[in-house]
Amino acid sequence: MWAEFLYHLRRLRGRIIGWGIGIGLYGLMMAWFYDAVTGMGAELEALLASYPQEMLAFFGNVQLMNTPAGYLDTYYFSYMTMIVGILAASAAAGMVAGDEERGVLDLVLAHPISRTALFWARLLAVVAALALVLLISWLSWLPAIPWGMEITALELLRPFLPLLAVLLFIGTLALLLSLVLPSSRLAATLAAAAIVANFLLVGLANMNDDLQPVLDWTPLGYYQGGLAVNGLEWSWLLSLLGVSLLFALLAWLLFQRRDIRVGGERSWRMPRSGRRREAASET
Amino acid sequence: METMALVVEGLTKSYGDVRALRGVDLEVRAGEIVGFLGPNGAGKTTTIRCLLDLIRPDSGSIRVFGIDPQADPVAVCQQVGYLPGELALEPNQTAAEILRYFSRLRGNRVDWAFVRTLAHRLELDLNLTIKNMSKGNKQKVAVVQALMARPPLLLLDEPTSGLDPLMQQEVYRLIKEAQAGGATVFFSSHIIAEVETIAERVAIIRQGVIVEEAEPEALVNIAVRRLRVRFQEPVEVQPLAAVPGVTILSQDDSVVTVQVAGEMDGLVKALAAYPVSDLETERPSLEEIFLSYYEATGDEQPQIEEAV
Repeated sequence: MWAEFLYHLRRLRGRIIGWGIGIGLYGLMMAWFYDAVTGMGAELEALLASYPQEMLAFFGNVQLMNTPAGYLDTYYFSYMTMIVGILAASAAAGMVAGDEERGVLDLVLAHPISRTALFWARLLAVVAALALVLLISWLSWLPAIPWGMEITALELLRPFLPLLAVLLFIGTLALLLSLVLPSSRLAATLAAAAIVANFLLVGLANMNDDLQPVLDWTPLGYYQGGLAVNGLEWSWLLSLLGVSLLFALLAWLLFQRRDIRVGGERSWRMPRSGRRREAASET
Repeated sequence: METMALVVEGLTKSYGDVRALRGVDLEVRAGEIVGFLGPNGAGKTTTIRCLLDLIRPDSGSIRVFGIDPQADPVAVCQQVGYLPGELALEPNQTAAEILRYFSRLRGNRVDWAFVRTLAHRLELDLNLTIKNMSKGNKQKVAVVQALMARPPLLLLDEPTSGLDPLMQQEVYRLIKEAQAGGATVFFSSHIIAEVETIAERVAIIRQGVIVEEAEPEALVNIAVRRLRVRFQEPVEVQPLAAVPGVTILSQDDSVVTVQVAGEMDGLVKALAAYPVSDLETERPSLEEIFLSYYEATGDEQPQIEEAV
């Protein structure tokens, strides 16, 4: 299992480096701007006041933008779920079904490794890859502290935990979908689309309280974002992790029962007429 | 009592409405080389993949050295070196990286000096990236990975696919050497010459059932051959058609194509009376043999002996 974990993590190294550098550079840039943005003080407040109230409501905690938590939330954590969510969805959807579609899983599973070991080793590698990207991101934000952000390194680390939990939610959802749907790419797309829709719902729920009960059934309803700097909401965090684990267990069960394809995507099974069925059984 | 490497009983498998296996019964003794023959879509690959628990049969039982693959697939895979029919390898890795990965999956029990020997004999550069390899070279990687752990059972699905004739011969030698080292070999093919060269016994599958198990020689006897004879001038071919087992397939000016079932002796003697300028012979594919065989007998479950 360890060999498989290391192997899969190595296969993800390109994405870890690419995403890590991209997200890291963005974090570094936003860390650099922190002092300048919060230093605007009254000008910033006036600027915000000039925006339509509906728009400010959509973006949530904009009024807290001159605090570390508000700044981190507005400029980073609120939409990192969508951006890094793409990585989570594609990496998780591809870890089994993607390899199956490319035909490489067949030979791997003909070696002495159980499906259980392969599944959990690869999922752990995906989790480790996401954690590494977030670690790079956290490191990129650290200069914000000497540059004027009144926060400790540990406090800065806190919001990365709910972010990781949401990414695991997206990833395991994509993984589960990849074992149900005929295509891993379709599964990744649907999972990523779901989180984008959820992001929009958060904004709409900020504008309309009637949508709040709907939001309570979605992962971002339990996502603290940058506000986790002030303390973690453990029940939310554990809820997200619990549902992710449930998705992963369901995916594992499906993988256990599944026939491994030689390659290619599955097809949607359409109902056949009696005559076509008879013809097919003769082939 | 003989040790059985493979025992398959009543194996069935359907893909939706398509019945791929309809009750496969098969036994392979330890130390044997058994060829698994059949036309495309007959169920060869499905059977082999069931043996490795890559796909689950609908019914029937499988034992690989007494182990049920569904109950303990890891134990089965420890005994098996598998070469897939449709090979796909990680394109961005070198052959060495892939082989080391497979070695780690086997608990690093692979002798790397043996890997280098295999690569040398197959003229395979282990430092080449898969995406830069020809189909033949990728096939060599697959051959090396199947053999490198010296497993007691080799399941080879079209082992020489994509290899040139010289390399095919080298693979046959490697398979024979593996057998000499105690391995059992079960390989699928639709190349009769390959089966003749290395198999001690042949199982023929058609439409998901084993229709015959025989020695390769028996198979050769049912193999019809096709000859194209170029005469120095247009000739009257009716005397050739009268030779037992000979069928005239076409005549185009001075070129005549005939099909011969069984011994060639009668035709060769008949041709001696003609001014022959060229003679080409070819063995038809297994599908063609099956086709001609079934056309000849009109039998759903033919017996090889009857066709001889």
